[in-house]
Amino acid sequence: MPSWQDFQPFIVSGLALGGVYALSGVGTVVLYQATGVLYLAFGAVGAMGALIAWSLTNAGAPDWVAWLVCVAFGGVVTLGYGMLFGPPLARRGPLVKAVATLGLTLVLFGVMDLLWTANGGQSRAITLPTDNGGFMVGQVQVTWTQVIGLGAGVALVVVTGAFLRYTKLGTAMRAMANDREITATLGVPVRRVEAAAWLGCGVIAGVAGLLLADLVALDATTLTFLVISSLAAALIARLRSVTLTFVAAIAIGLVHDLVTPIQSLSNYRDMTPFVLAAVALLVLSRHRVISLSPEEG
Amino acid sequence: MRLYRRALEPRATVALAAAIGLGVLAGCSSNTPSAGTSPSPTAAASTGAATVRTSQCGIKPGVKATGTPIPLGGIVTNQPGTSFTDIANMANAYFTCVNDNGGINGHPIKYYIESEQTNPGQIGAEAKQLVQTDHVVGIVGNTSIIECSIDHSYWQKLGFFVVDSGIAPECWSTPNSAAVNMGPRYSSDGAVQYALAQHVSKVVFDQSNVPGTGYIAAGPAALAAAAHTPIVQLTENVPITDANSVAIKEVDDAGPNGAVVLNFTPPEALVILQAAQKLGLENRVKLWGCSTPCNTDFLAKALGPKWNHKLFVNAELTPALTGSPAMNLYQAILAQYGKAVSGGIGSFSQMGFVEAQILVHALHTVHGAYTVASVNAAIKAVKNFNTGMLCQPWTYGNYPMHIPNNEDYTTTPDNGHMVLAQGCTQISSVDPQIAAYRKVAG
Repeated sequence: MPSWQDFQPFIVSGLALGGVYALSGVGTVVLYQATGVLYLAFGAVGAMGALIAWSLTNAGAPDWVAWLVCVAFGGVVTLGYGMLFGPPLARRGPLVKAVATLGLTLVLFGVMDLLWTANGGQSRAITLPTDNGGFMVGQVQVTWTQVIGLGAGVALVVVTGAFLRYTKLGTAMRAMANDREITATLGVPVRRVEAAAWLGCGVIAGVAGLLLADLVALDATTLTFLVISSLAAALIARLRSVTLTFVAAIAIGLVHDLVTPIQSLSNYRDMTPFVLAAVALLVLSRHRVISLSPEEG
Repeated sequence: MRLYRRALEPRATVALAAAIGLGVLAGCSSNTPSAGTSPSPTAAASTGAATVRTSQCGIKPGVKATGTPIPLGGIVTNQPGTSFTDIANMANAYFTCVNDNGGINGHPIKYYIESEQTNPGQIGAEAKQLVQTDHVVGIVGNTSIIECSIDHSYWQKLGFFVVDSGIAPECWSTPNSAAVNMGPRYSSDGAVQYALAQHVSKVVFDQSNVPGTGYIAAGPAALAAAAHTPIVQLTENVPITDANSVAIKEVDDAGPNGAVVLNFTPPEALVILQAAQKLGLENRVKLWGCSTPCNTDFLAKALGPKWNHKLFVNAELTPALTGSPAMNLYQAILAQYGKAVSGGIGSFSQMGFVEAQILVHALHTVHGAYTVASVNAAIKAVKNFNTGMLCQPWTYGNYPMHIPNNEDYTTTPDNGHMVLAQGCTQISSVDPQIAAYRKVAG
């Protein structure tokens, strides 16, 4: 068994990764709460935003412009999808709504492969100014980007919690999570509330895409399917609690990386999100009644 | 009705905005060789020399071939994350140049390229299509994750002697395939061999967790054992989602006097190397090595100057900045005919150039009709052909296995380009496969 010193650097990397999973997970949960849609295109939107930012930087645009475009792209595409497909799918079950976002994922994935091919051994990278500074923990450098990754997750949880609790729009979102029909009957402009949720989720997708492109890889496949880890965190929180999503995401990031130095388990560490989600769902779902949507019934 | 119209308008507006936005994005984003790369110092020279140099590809400069086409075929993997179309496209560029400059005794080459997505049924069907529908008389440019494994018996049955860029073990271990590259095993041998020559005390060899890792790992294991140097064999699931932990693990295992040798495609190798740099780990080992896929200017530029002369890459083909006649011709053809080659100058397009070169050389020795029998007899008879792109002359030969490229260079990044670190060095016969080939080939 590796020593404590061997585990130390993996704690650092695990926390940073968990922080970004938390960012993605919280965005997913907030959108689900407001619209009932499990947004599987979160990763693809962030990935394409990051690739656009890379192209702009390569073309000579200032970095800050490229980053803003990345975030704006996430917001616009997600809002566009929500406004276009949200209303016709509003009365459909959660499964149908989730699969529909898979369609968007596949479209974006195909477009990214077309425009930013991996042909010819092309390799791309995004570097942020915060990559170059940091501090030492043991023998490992902790970059400010990693700190931002974790900090952004924490900040989002706090801000989102406060937003949902204390603002009118947040209260409306919580009401819609309980019952959309009654909320609409009470005069709440549900389309506007949904639009705000879609836009907010899309902006978070853009930010997460940029951070993940730096912390993980600027690769369409990697970033698109990294959403699975954050989805696991959201599922552990039963798509309800933002705080629990954050805790679960950190746990997934930590466990994933802490398994790395254990030789016998290292090759299986990518199973971490699935294993943790499965265990949590089994434990948390016992003694619960499962209700089916109209399509499933 | 009015409600419906009001509900429709925002969606129509959003749809229109999305369509326009996607159109703008398609215009802004680019996968052309100029996007994200620094201009190669030789590009300008090749452009200027194109009108002179490319005509040297054919025997009758400026005379278009108009006779009966000679059909050739190739199968390449093209799927998200893995695309080898540049190799076939470069071969096609070479053939087009030849067709514009006399062809093969007046006959143009017609090259059919089939792409596959690592589906055995599809690959088998495409081989049959090339033979039965397109009536190809030769197979060249195959570059596929599993094609050699699927089709080698078929080619053997029909008498096709394939010139390819190998990946699967059967590309080197069967009588009807001869590769211009070394492939993952022998290229990894080269990288590990270089590290051992620098007297490292330990080697960590890390590669993608895909079928064939045992076959690939056996070569470096044999080399390390012969050098009495411990070796740690690691595999990573790809795409790599947490390069930080991978880099930390590798460096911890290698130790300060050790070497980390990677066998990944450039995107994966890049994320590991960049993670190592961000964590301040790049100087925590004696050296970093990589097999040939890392030998691209894309990687050198993305890594930046901190990796100058720190990463040592096995290069199966002549470094691109060499100003040899073959290199100049390659760059000129790439500039004039290689619009479909998105990766630009690099190992992939070099492989395509060499394979096409070999085929054209073989075709020129055919007397009479261009049939499967005559063309493949000519291919098999290629002996000591100097491509100008490899360390040693290339021979097909009548052998049960083929590893004709078994001598390599080592390159290293230097301010955005890969430059020569070590000249031609034979891959050691400590690898039993290399020893077996040298025994049959002499």
